[in-house]
Amino acid sequence: MRLLEVENLVKHFGGVAAVDGVDFHADEKEIVSVIGPNGAGKTTLFNVVTGFFEPDSGKMEFEKLSLVGLKPNRVTKLGIARTFQQIRLFPNLTVLENAMVGQHCRTKAGPFGAIIRPPWAVREEREIADRAREVLGFFGDRLLPMQDTMAFELSYADRRRLEIARAMATMPKLLLLDEPTAGMNPVEKHGLVELIGRLRAERGYTVVLIEHDMPVVKNVSDRVVAIDHGKVIAQGTYDEVSSDPQVIEAYLGKQKATGQQI
Amino acid sequence: MSTRALAGRASVMTADGRTGSTRSTVTVGMIGGLVAVYFMVVGMVEKFDARGIIAGVIGLSFTLLAITAAGTGYMAARSRERAGMATGLASAASAGALAGAVAGALSAVTILAVDLIGEEHVRTMFQSFTPRLIEGILSFGRTVGFGAMVLFAAGVSLGVLGALLQQTAPRMRRAILTGLGTLLVISMAEPFLTQVFRNVTDNFGIPISRDWLYERSGMTVLGAILMFALGFAFSWWRSTRAQRATVSPPAGERSADAAGMRSIRGLVRGRAGKMIGFLAVLGLLILVPRIVGPFLSQVVVIIGIYVLLGLGLNIVVGFAGLLDLGYVAFFAVGAYAVAVFTSPASYLAAEGATTGVLNFWVALPIVVVMAIVAGLMIGAPVLRLRGDYLAIVTLGFGEIARVLIASNWLSEYLGGAQGILRIPPPAPEEWSLRRPQNLYFIVLAFVLIAVFVSTRLKDSRVGRAWAAMREDESVAEAMGVSVINYKLLAFGIGAGVGSLGGAIFAIQVGSVFPNSFDLLVSINALSVIVLGGLGSIPGVVVGALALVGLPELLREFQEFRLLIYGAVLVALMILRPEGLLPEVRRKRELHERAIEEEQYEEQVGQEGLPPVIETGPEERRE
Repeated sequence: MRLLEVENLVKHFGGVAAVDGVDFHADEKEIVSVIGPNGAGKTTLFNVVTGFFEPDSGKMEFEKLSLVGLKPNRVTKLGIARTFQQIRLFPNLTVLENAMVGQHCRTKAGPFGAIIRPPWAVREEREIADRAREVLGFFGDRLLPMQDTMAFELSYADRRRLEIARAMATMPKLLLLDEPTAGMNPVEKHGLVELIGRLRAERGYTVVLIEHDMPVVKNVSDRVVAIDHGKVIAQGTYDEVSSDPQVIEAYLGKQKATGQQI
Repeated sequence: MSTRALAGRASVMTADGRTGSTRSTVTVGMIGGLVAVYFMVVGMVEKFDARGIIAGVIGLSFTLLAITAAGTGYMAARSRERAGMATGLASAASAGALAGAVAGALSAVTILAVDLIGEEHVRTMFQSFTPRLIEGILSFGRTVGFGAMVLFAAGVSLGVLGALLQQTAPRMRRAILTGLGTLLVISMAEPFLTQVFRNVTDNFGIPISRDWLYERSGMTVLGAILMFALGFAFSWWRSTRAQRATVSPPAGERSADAAGMRSIRGLVRGRAGKMIGFLAVLGLLILVPRIVGPFLSQVVVIIGIYVLLGLGLNIVVGFAGLLDLGYVAFFAVGAYAVAVFTSPASYLAAEGATTGVLNFWVALPIVVVMAIVAGLMIGAPVLRLRGDYLAIVTLGFGEIARVLIASNWLSEYLGGAQGILRIPPPAPEEWSLRRPQNLYFIVLAFVLIAVFVSTRLKDSRVGRAWAAMREDESVAEAMGVSVINYKLLAFGIGAGVGSLGGAIFAIQVGSVFPNSFDLLVSINALSVIVLGGLGSIPGVVVGALALVGLPELLREFQEFRLLIYGAVLVALMILRPEGLLPEVRRKRELHERAIEEEQYEEQVGQEGLPPVIETGPEERRE
C-alpha cells in the first residue's frame, strides 16, 4: 500500500530549482534509499515533505491526506518523523528529555494539567517517560544507562542514535533519515544497517534514507532512487540504479561514465 | 630576600625586555597600583577610615587597599602560571612580590609626590587629597616618608601572600576566601544585623546581644575569628561533599540491593525532608517582618516585587528562550489596572466617591486576565522573530506602553503625567496601620503562588516543549511542538505573573505615574534572572535579593554606593557567568567546552585517537 506519494514536486530558491518536478513514493514497510551527488536536492525534498518549506507546486500525500501547506508539527502528528544531516538534538536537555519531547504530539497536557496535576496528567507524564525509555531501550545499553546525561555530552555515534530514538518517540509510520551514517566508522555503519532492518522488522516502520555510502545503500535498500539537479534520474533495485549510465555520469562525470562501472 | 634588590632586578629585566613574563607581572602590578591610587583619589580611603572592619585591627580603608595588593599578587602569580613560564612556589612568590612592589611603589610615590607639591595645590583638582589623608591616615601618624615605606612594604608582603594563596590547593583556597568573605560581609552588615538582633530581643523575648560580635565600629576580634572559621568550615564541608559525590561509583555498578535501599531512603528523605524543610522556610518567612522591622520590611516588599517580575520574565526568557526587553509593559498593566479599578480618583469612580469601583481582591483576577491578554497582544506580532530581532521589537513595545500611559490621548482614563492617586490599601482600614508589614504577607502569598506555578510548569510537558523551543526552534516544531501556541503561552503566563508585581507596586506606593514604568524596570528584571541564573527558580529569589538588597547593604558607602554596586555586578558576571544559583544544566552548558575537552582527553588516553572527531560545540543553534 502507498504510504507517501509525491508527484511533480517543485521547489525553487530564487533562480535555483532545488527540487524540479520530483515523483517519489514509498510503500508500507519499504526501505528506500535516496542517493545523488551533493546539492542534488535530496535534503530539500525531505524539508518540503516535512513542512519546513512549502512547495511551489506539486502534490504530496501521506495516507491519501495532502501534506501541502502543513506546518512541521502537523506533519509529525500525521506520522512522519525525521532526523537531520547535521545532528540537531536539544543539547542542554537530558537524553531522556530529548526522547520525551518526541512524545509531545501524542500527548495533550496543557498548562492546566501541568499546574494542577490532576490524576490523568500524572498518568500521562508517567506514560511519556515510560515510552521514552522504551525507545531508548531499542538501542540496547547504548542510551538507556545514559538517560540522565546531557545530550551534548554523548559521543558522536550516540548522538546519532538519540536522534533516531527521538524520531521514534513521535510514534511515526514513516521515518526519514538524512545521512544517518555520516561521520561513522565501518563498524558503526554496519551496526546502523542492522538497526534500520530492525526498525522495519520490530517496529513496522517505513524508512526513507538519504545515503552516500554505497555499501550501506546496497545492504539496506529495497529500492534506490537517484536524484540529480532536482530530478529523479533513475530508480529501481541497487544493481539497476548503480549500473545506470546517467547515475554514473552524475557521480563521476561524463568521460568516466562512458567506459567504467562504479 | 631584600625587596629592594628584587625590585631592582625586575626593573633591569624589563628594561632588557628579555622576559615577557616579567613585563606582564609588572603590568599587573601597575594596574593594582592604579586601582589603589584610584581609591585614594576618589576619596574612598579617607571617607571609610572611620569605619572599622575588625575593631582595633583594621578599618575599611586599609581593608580595601590590602585586598587590592593581595589581589595584585594573586593575579600576577596566576598570569605567570598561565603563561606556562615557570611554576612552583618560589616563582609565584617572586611574581607576587614584584607585582606587589610595583603596586606599593605607585601608592608610595603618589603620597610622596602629593606631599612634595603640597596638598593645597593638588586639591584644586583632586579634592580628596586632604591633609588628613596624606599626613594622617596614610602616614600612620608619623611622617609621610614613613607612610610611603609602610605602603611599599605592605604591597610587597601582601603581594607575596596573594601569590601564595594562588598556589594553595583549590579546595583550601576556596575555604580561605569564603572565610574572609564571610568575615567581611558580616562586618559590613553590622547596621542590619544590629537591628535584627534588637527586633529579635524585643519581639520574641530571646535576648541576643550584639556586643560579642561588634564593637562600636567593626567586629570584635573573637567575632572575626568565629566568622572566618564559620565560612571556612562551610566551604570545606561543601567541597568534601562534592568530592564524595564524584568519587562514588555510578548507579549501574551498585548491587540491586543497595540501589533499593538507597531509593527507599531517598523516598523518605525526599518526601518528609522536603515537607519539613518547606515548613521551616515558610515559618521563617512569616516571621520576617517582625525580625527585620518596619523599614526593612518595605525593602523586602520591593524585593518581593522584583521576585515576581523575575519569575514572570523567567518563564519567557529562561524557559521559552524569548528575549523580552519590554517586560515593563505588563508591570504597567498590573499597576494601572489596579489603580483604575480601586482608586476613588479614577475616571470609573463617581464624583466625590471615597472608594474605587472595586475592592482590590475583586479587581485582582480581572487585572491578571487583562495582563494575559496584553501578553498575547504583544506576543502575536513577534511570533516570527527570533533572538536579537525579538529583543528590539519587544523593547519598542515597552516604550510604547510608557508613552501611551503618559499620553494626552489616554489622560482622561489614565491621568497622563498626573498619574492616578489615592490607591487604597487592599484590606480593611485597621489593617493598614502597619502597612509595610501587612503588604509583605500579600507579596509572600503571590510569590509562593508564582513559584509554585513556575515549578510545576517547568517540570511538565509544557516546560519540555518550551525547553525544546529554546534549544532549537525548528527541530522542536519538527517534533510536534506548535511553536506559535507555546510562544503565546509563555508571553501570556509571563505577563500574568508580572502583573502581580505591578499590582503590589500600585498599592505599596499608593499612586501610579508614567515615569515609574521606564526601560530600567525591564532591565532590572532581566538582571535579576541573569544574576540569579537563567531559568533557575531559586536563582530568581537570590538574584532579586542581591540586586535590590545589595544597594541597601551598601547604604553607608554614601556617594560610592553605585560605583561599588556596579563593580560588584561586573565582577559577579565575570566570575560566575552562570549566575549565583544556576540550574545544573546551565552551569554545564557554560563549561561545555571544558567538559568536552576532558572527555576527549580521556578517550585519547584510553584507546588512542577516537575514530571519528567531527563533533564540536559549534553545531548548536543557529
